[in-house]
Amino acid sequence: MRSISLYRDNGTWLCRVHPFTKLAYILAVILVPLLLGSLWAYAAAIVLDICILISGKSLRRARALIIFSFTIIVTIFLIRGLFDADNITPAFSLGPVVFYQEGLMKALRTGAVIINMLLSFSILVLTSKPEDIADELERHGFSPRLSYVIASVFSIIPQMMGTMDTITDAQRSRGMETEGKLSQRMKAFIPLITPVVTTSLINTRERAIALEVRGFGSKGKRSYLSPWKKHRGDRAMTIVLLLSIAAAAAWRLASWLS
Amino acid sequence: MAFIEIENLRYRYPKTERLALQGISLSIEKGSFLGIIGPNGAGKSTLGSAIIGLVPQFYKGAYGGHVSVGGKDAATVPVSEIARSVGLVFQNPFNQLSGAKDRVYDEVCFGMQNFGIPSDEMRRRADETLELMGISAFRDRNPFDLSGGQMQRVAIASILVLRPEVIILDEPTSQLDPAGSEEVFRAVEKLTESGITIIMIEQKIDKIAEYSDRILLMDEGRAIAIGTPDEILSRPDLEEHGIIPPAPARISRALSFALPDGTFPATQEAAVTLMEGRVGFRKDEKKGEAQASAEELLRTEDLSFSYTEGNEVLHGISLAFDGRPTAIIGQNGAGKTTLAKLMKGLLKPVSGRILLRGRDIAGNTAASLAGDIGYVFQNPDDQIFKAKVADEVMFGPLNIGMSEKEARKKAMEALEMVHLASAADRNPYDLDLHERKMVALASVIAMETSVLILDEPTIAQDDRGKTMISGIIKELAARVTLVISILHDMDLVASSFRRVIAMAHGRVLADGSPEEVFSKEEVLSEAGLELPHTAALAKKLGAEDILLSDASFLAAAFRV
Amino acid sequence: MTGKSIFRTKFDVASIVLIPACIGINYIGKLFASALKLPLWLDSIGTCIGACLGGPIIGGICGAANNLIYGLTTGDSITLIYALTSLFIGFFVGIMARAGFMKTFPKAIITSLVAGAVAIIISTPLNIIFWGGQTGNVWGDAVFAASQAASLPLWLSSLFDEIIVDVPDKIITLILVFVILKALPDKLTALYDAADEVERLD
Repeated sequence: MRSISLYRDNGTWLCRVHPFTKLAYILAVILVPLLLGSLWAYAAAIVLDICILISGKSLRRARALIIFSFTIIVTIFLIRGLFDADNITPAFSLGPVVFYQEGLMKALRTGAVIINMLLSFSILVLTSKPEDIADELERHGFSPRLSYVIASVFSIIPQMMGTMDTITDAQRSRGMETEGKLSQRMKAFIPLITPVVTTSLINTRERAIALEVRGFGSKGKRSYLSPWKKHRGDRAMTIVLLLSIAAAAAWRLASWLS
Repeated sequence: MAFIEIENLRYRYPKTERLALQGISLSIEKGSFLGIIGPNGAGKSTLGSAIIGLVPQFYKGAYGGHVSVGGKDAATVPVSEIARSVGLVFQNPFNQLSGAKDRVYDEVCFGMQNFGIPSDEMRRRADETLELMGISAFRDRNPFDLSGGQMQRVAIASILVLRPEVIILDEPTSQLDPAGSEEVFRAVEKLTESGITIIMIEQKIDKIAEYSDRILLMDEGRAIAIGTPDEILSRPDLEEHGIIPPAPARISRALSFALPDGTFPATQEAAVTLMEGRVGFRKDEKKGEAQASAEELLRTEDLSFSYTEGNEVLHGISLAFDGRPTAIIGQNGAGKTTLAKLMKGLLKPVSGRILLRGRDIAGNTAASLAGDIGYVFQNPDDQIFKAKVADEVMFGPLNIGMSEKEARKKAMEALEMVHLASAADRNPYDLDLHERKMVALASVIAMETSVLILDEPTIAQDDRGKTMISGIIKELAARVTLVISILHDMDLVASSFRRVIAMAHGRVLADGSPEEVFSKEEVLSEAGLELPHTAALAKKLGAEDILLSDASFLAAAFRV
Repeated sequence: MTGKSIFRTKFDVASIVLIPACIGINYIGKLFASALKLPLWLDSIGTCIGACLGGPIIGGICGAANNLIYGLTTGDSITLIYALTSLFIGFFVGIMARAGFMKTFPKAIITSLVAGAVAIIISTPLNIIFWGGQTGNVWGDAVFAASQAASLPLWLSSLFDEIIVDVPDKIITLILVFVILKALPDKLTALYDAADEVERLD
């Protein structure tokens, strides 16, 4: 089955870490540099992200996730460096085009925010199974309906992608062109999307029935097949991470007050 | 009082006018096997839904009468509560998976989790039920990766672990291939031994005859009759209610072999016991060889194909098609659909070529071939997108360049042919699946192609629908349209096709008239195929020829 | 229609399974758009369908859940930030639909303008906070660069960028949703009617 989830169990310790610990890490690694405000804090965060990914043997796959952002970052450098309202000090020039220091520094900061965010999220995305995240949310008191929604997205999409190919074939068989002028391609959209939408909505009706007859609407207490195998240090790590946020916030507050 | 008591049940779906159930009264005892038969639209599924409370709680609409299940009122006690004692399995195996679990084992446990069953007990029940359904080997697989038959057994297992007292099986095999159906029926057989109450709605009349203690015949929302299989299936008015009696009952009636109580045997086994040694068969001397008609329309030359390199699914297929209606038969994975898609230009051959009237189609896209070769997909919902049946049917004709007026004319003719002219202005999705299949068929017929490829046209059709398709194939053949159909229904193959191609493992095993192909036992067993019901009975009774139709059976047979 | 019934929401199993289906439709819309090489995202069709069938609350949930789920699992974490935009698009399209503004084509166009306006109002500040005002879309960013070069204020340049990127997309999306909804059968829409009761025949 084609899955849209990027999770792979590569057997490293990172896959055993509780998803909530990873969420706490993301929160910390994004908030702490923001509170501290120093570019060095961002650099440290990015280095930390990379170290974790390397030890979890996932850096190569993470690279694929951030590469697309490079074009955005390049345009940010171009636009800020050339046109930013605060631009005063020229940094360098390429022929007639002059780049300014102030804009470039701003762009550097934005770029660091983007890279740090993408890397830290990729730790969660690459090493935690969505179904496990859903399951853990449910066990910690979130509605089973929420965890159902999360988990079922991952089974629905591959199913829909399978029908996509069949629908394209079926409409082409009836003489519909899917290539050519923009107007022609535009016209092809409705015959392609409508059957997927209608079929998937009709399927939801049957799926709702299947869930009803298996007691999904039942109000009673639920039970679970197996408890989460605790990773050593999950709790300690989470506490350290949350404390680091608190410490950074305290530092920021103190520097404001003084 | 019986476990299930239904009193004067009437029901109407929202936004419809007709009552789907018009006063049903019925009681079902514990431990029995009740078969429900009737044409599409008879109200069979609605009755099943009413027993578990989905009608009216889920569907809403208008409801009258009373349904009690183990003392609980099915109209008011929540479905999740009734579900503790009644389980439901329906047609589409995909949609019965919860969609929230990626392991068969977890899928089977999903319902038990909802009911808060402790984990030790959960494991015990799951292990036991997986074993019973023969799916223990798949416990760690993703349920969505299983075949239809396996998936359907997972669905049954997911219900059984809840330990219901009654299980309703609503056409559980209607969307499966023969091997998948066989798997599911074997599972059902195991269930009958376990003592659970089973209510099975089914079009496969021979299976109903084999398993049922009692059969309920329904038509137009009414219960026509209830009785033993022999009683119900011997009724002279069966065909008026859209049911063709099983071959054993038809043949024994025609030969006047009645059981002591005046009914006719409904199963092959009973018919053989009754008639064995009492019928003889005349040998047919002038065996009809299949005559190729003059004009060749389509030819494949040494066609090979693979989806992934080094994994060839078709090996050097060379076939020439003339005007005879041709059935391609074989198990799933034999390469039938791949072959059909190649001929339609949806796939490009790895080697070999395809000639349409002597012209190589290699340079053409599927869309540009649309006017020459039509292809009706298995699932109509993969193509229907217009809000009106007539517009849907006109889509293809307009695409291939017909004028609006001409397209409308062709569309109406095609709808006439599938008996849906009166539905031209309705929303196709308000029609039932079997009617939507006919809309899809009409939408390709209206393009008046010289070749028409049908992929499993009989799935979801009842006996009336199958008869209609049989008529359409004959009509198209008379118009000099080459009909090529992938089929699992051997009775239809026998009755409507003049040429049969049996495939297995990407090769053609046999090619000839139905009589020729069905007489080759080694081919049938290698391709995993069964004889049509009439021919199977004739063979059991000692006939040497392959007697495919009732007419040829009766012409050859005599009482001794 | 009273204010209360506009927000009335059924949280039964049928509505819950509607949400993942809509999220899937968003994804497929995006895939088809790129397969046909259309210059649009078309990735909020499902959210709008969810909103029209289930009302503003379900619409909002579809929108927010859509971005959260994709952001947290497919690695496209930039999407996360725009969960807020999707939430409000779903919510307002739901209100418009319940108020009858998806019944005719001209009214659907009004709804599409509302959706476009919501997208601009929510996304522009987000763009400024996170990316210094850009959207990452070539055409939009070209306009952004031009306005910045012309020394227009940042918020205005960013607004232009956002208008170019989101408004045509929302108009086409809602037109598509209108056409698709017209093709949906009564059998299906009846399931999401918030106000239905079982009628007794005896």
